[in-house]
Amino acid sequence: MGISTFRWKTKYGQPNWERISWLYMRLSGLVMFLIVTFHLLYMHMVVRVENLTFQNIVDRWNGPYGLAWKTLDTALLIFGLTHGYNGVRWSIDDYVHHRGWNLVLKMLLYIVGSILMIAGALAIFVGPGSLV
Amino acid sequence: MGALVETLRYVISYRGTEGHWAWLLHRLSGLGIALFLSMHIISIFSVGLGPRVYNFLHEVLYVSAPAKVLEVFLIFGVLFHAANGMRIIVIDFFPGLGKYQRTIVRIELLVVILVFIPAAIITLQGVL
Repeated sequence: MGISTFRWKTKYGQPNWERISWLYMRLSGLVMFLIVTFHLLYMHMVVRVENLTFQNIVDRWNGPYGLAWKTLDTALLIFGLTHGYNGVRWSIDDYVHHRGWNLVLKMLLYIVGSILMIAGALAIFVGPGSLV
Repeated sequence: MGALVETLRYVISYRGTEGHWAWLLHRLSGLGIALFLSMHIISIFSVGLGPRVYNFLHEVLYVSAPAKVLEVFLIFGVLFHAANGMRIIVIDFFPGLGKYQRTIVRIELLVVILVFIPAAIITLQGVL
């Protein structure tokens, strides 16, 4: 898992991006083992999903620990999206060997990923209700 | 796409052991979580659009009965992916442990199920 069919040759002296991507999956995985498990168990078991209303989010982001929550949510966004979409990229390389389709799917993945990164950051930093 | 069909054929016919099933479940849970995450970011983006849009999406995508059932799959997927990811990291950095990996997979699955069962019961309260 994780050795890309298409980027497997590296030029001498150039950084091996697939190796860096392999290492990144381990490091971001370690970070997310802590923060995603906390996020999941806290939001689902302590707060409860049905109580996660608009007001609940406003109270948390604008409350006394707002900066801490926003930092955590930003970390979840960055690590989750990059780790998750890199995994999808590996899967595309594993299963779609037609060069054209491989390229099309990965380009689509990068476009959707960039849009989601911007959308997530806007939600956290622009403030509840202020995008209208 | 031929590679995908080939893979599906191998997945069904390959009589692998714990390592194979762990690998397969890791990939399926990973792809599932990536799909959920994409939806999750869009629904959280709607916080910026005000309470009416957000609360509507929240009700449909997270609180409705079908969403609650999917949530149980999500919880299992995240718990398994997290535990199995730790196994992968440990074996990558301590390859000597590779010979015990079948045992490690069994222990990992036991821990996941022990956390998952109460979480699933709590999640499905009010639905069942």
